[in-house]
Amino acid sequence: MFSHIIYSLLSVTICLLAGKAIEDLLPILPASLYGMMIFTALLHYRFLNANRIQPCIEWALANMAVCFVPAGVGIINHYELIKNHGLMLVGIIFFTTFLLLTFVGLTYQRQLNRKETIIQKELSK
Amino acid sequence: MSNNFISETSLMLFFILLTLVVYQVFVQLQKRCKKPWLNPMLLSILTLIPFLGFFNITFEQYYQSTAPLNSLLEPAVVALGFPLYQHIQTIKKQWRQIAILLFVGAVITIAISFCVTIYAINQYDIAVSLSLKSVTTPIGIALTEQLNGNNSITAFAIILAGLFGALLGPPWLSFINVNSPKAQGLAIGAASHALGTATISRVSYEHAAYSSLALIISAVVTAIFSPMIINTLVHFL
Repeated sequence: MFSHIIYSLLSVTICLLAGKAIEDLLPILPASLYGMMIFTALLHYRFLNANRIQPCIEWALANMAVCFVPAGVGIINHYELIKNHGLMLVGIIFFTTFLLLTFVGLTYQRQLNRKETIIQKELSK
Repeated sequence: MSNNFISETSLMLFFILLTLVVYQVFVQLQKRCKKPWLNPMLLSILTLIPFLGFFNITFEQYYQSTAPLNSLLEPAVVALGFPLYQHIQTIKKQWRQIAILLFVGAVITIAISFCVTIYAINQYDIAVSLSLKSVTTPIGIALTEQLNGNNSITAFAIILAGLFGALLGPPWLSFINVNSPKAQGLAIGAASHALGTATISRVSYEHAAYSSLALIISAVVTAIFSPMIINTLVHFL
């Protein structure tokens, strides 16, 4: 188990460092996203052993939200903004979230339905 | 000098431990009650704010002391490559169709959120934060820093978007006749990232797979295109 933890930490660190190197050359995306893509590619092409990484990564993903608590606490510095525009901001978040939900849900459902009717037509021929 | 160092380190340990303990308490609470609105991140923030106020600790002091937690942001994004790898294998066939759909969805919502916020309160950093609210927190925050948004507002907006979708998403989607698990998963992953994904994953494996697929693809699409969209909009507004 211990060697799995070291292996996972090293893999993530190396991918992140490689991401930083790419960001220096090609500053379009944040280094961490380059790192993520490298990580995915290395796993996909079996340069990294997914079975050894899985338990640590799943633990990390399940617990990572705690890292963002400090940033969220920073909302105390925006008392004025919330007092003046709080409802407006929540309204915008609410409205655009529902818009995205509805758009993606309806469009994909329609695509699925279309596929189904095509298959049924093929079958009835 | 050395005294200073010791007190700084102990403050750091204290605040990090405090954050971890408070968070863990709410994680346990949510495990018992199984209610999505008992979100541990939201409840921890709402608990820590009065605590800091009571002891007269400024946010800057707290934020500086918890810097090590924040520095885990980058490895957290890298770690998201793992679910992406898992889904590349299962849903290889239709990933292009899904990517186009999520791309269009992300572009529309980023543009609308940004324009409406600029129109309503005319603050660039807040508009950036609100337009990045549909992606998972580590990527949202990384992009906020890149685009000079406001970290705290982004963090909060992301939680709210997550809660809306997690709580009201499934009933709303059924109401508008979006009943397939694939479409429901995709919609909730796109609009409500990890929070929605965690909630809907309990329903079925298909929900879970499509929701986390949407979460990852939306994050990548947003990361690549949001700087372009926002810079273009700034030009026109």
